[in-house]
Amino acid sequence: MTVMSATPGTAPPFETIVSDYGPLISRIASSYEADPSLREDLTQQIFLAVWQALPSWRAESSLKTFIARVAQNRSISFVTKQVRQGPVAELPDRIEADAPNPEEQAMQINEREMLMEATRRLPLPQRQVIILVLEGFTYPEISEMLEIAPNALALRLSRAKAALKTMLEGGE
Amino acid sequence: MSDFDLDRLGDVWRQQPDPAEMERLQKSAAAVARRARLAQVTDIVVALAVAGVVIFLVASNPKPGTVLIGSAAILVLLFSNIRLRKVRRIELEQLTGGTEEMLDQSIARVETTLRHIRFSVIGFPVAAVLGALFGYASQGRRILDAAQDWPLRSLLMPLGIVVIVGVMVFAVRAVRRGRKELERLRAMREAYRRERESSNS
Repeated sequence: MTVMSATPGTAPPFETIVSDYGPLISRIASSYEADPSLREDLTQQIFLAVWQALPSWRAESSLKTFIARVAQNRSISFVTKQVRQGPVAELPDRIEADAPNPEEQAMQINEREMLMEATRRLPLPQRQVIILVLEGFTYPEISEMLEIAPNALALRLSRAKAALKTMLEGGE
Repeated sequence: MSDFDLDRLGDVWRQQPDPAEMERLQKSAAAVARRARLAQVTDIVVALAVAGVVIFLVASNPKPGTVLIGSAAILVLLFSNIRLRKVRRIELEQLTGGTEEMLDQSIARVETTLRHIRFSVIGFPVAAVLGALFGYASQGRRILDAAQDWPLRSLLMPLGIVVIVGVMVFAVRAVRRGRKELERLRAMREAYRRERESSNS
C-alpha cells in the first residue's frame, strides 16, 4: 500500500508513511540540527509526533503538507529546548559549479551539505520558506501552511533566496 | 553554483538517501512506534491496576473512612488522566497548527512553568519552616525531644535536608533552562514579527 492508494482522509499505515516521507522528515531534521546525535534524537521525536498526530489528519491538506508542518513545528520546539546551541559547522569553501570535477557524486554530496548548512544559518521565518520550496511544495501550499499572504510569501522567499545566494557564493 | 536556480537546488536537496540510511530510518521509526504503542497500553494498564487496587482495598475494609479515601484516590486518578489528555491535546494542536501560534503558546507555557517553579523555590522552604513552627506550637517541647531520638535524628533529618537541597538545585536548574528556552522563543517570535512588519511596509 502506498500513500497515494490510501483512502482520502484515512491515514495509511505508519510504515508506509515512513517509506514515503522518511527522507523528507530526515531532511527537515537536518536543516534544523547540525549535531548528528541531536539530529538523530530530533528525527525520532518527529516520527513520534507524526505517529501521535496522524489520527487528527483529515485530508483538508495533503498528507505531505501535514507531515511537513508537524516536522517543522517539532523541529522548532526541539531547538528552543536545547540548553546549548548545536555546533554550527564551518561553511565549506565555495564550490565553483563550472569547475571541472571528476567526482560528480562527491561534489553533489558536498553541494548538498553546503546547501543544508547555509539553510541552517537562515533566520527561522526564511528557513521555513526555503525548506518548503526546496521540498517541492507549491506557493499556495506554502502560503496555507505558514498562514501568510501570497505577497508576504513572495517577499520572504526573495529575501531567503538572496541570503542563501550570498552564503553559497561565498559572500559570508 | 553560479546559476542560482531553486529548481536545480531542489533536485540537489531532495537526493534520496542511500539504502542503508533508509533502512536505518525505517528501523528508527519502527522502534519509535513500538515504544509509543507500549506507552499507550502501559497508561491504560497502570490506571486500571491502580483503580483495581484501590477498589480491592476499599472492598476488603468497607468503612466510611476507607471509602472516602478510596473515592478521593479514584478522583485524583481520574483528574490526572483528564489533565494528561488535555496536555496531550494541546501539544497536538501546537504540532499541527501555525508556527507563530505555536511560538505564542510555547512562550505562555514556559512563562507559566517558570512562575510555578519560582513559587515552589520560595514556597518550599517557607512551607518547611511553617511546618516546623506549627509542629512546635502544637507539640511544644515534645517535638524537640522527638527530634533527638533515633531514627528522626540519624536518618530522617539528614534525608529531609538532602531532599530539600535536591529540590532547590533541581528548581534552580529548571529556572535556568526555562529562561534560556524563553529567550530563544522570544527571539524567534521577534524574527517573525519583524518579517511580518517588513512585509506590510
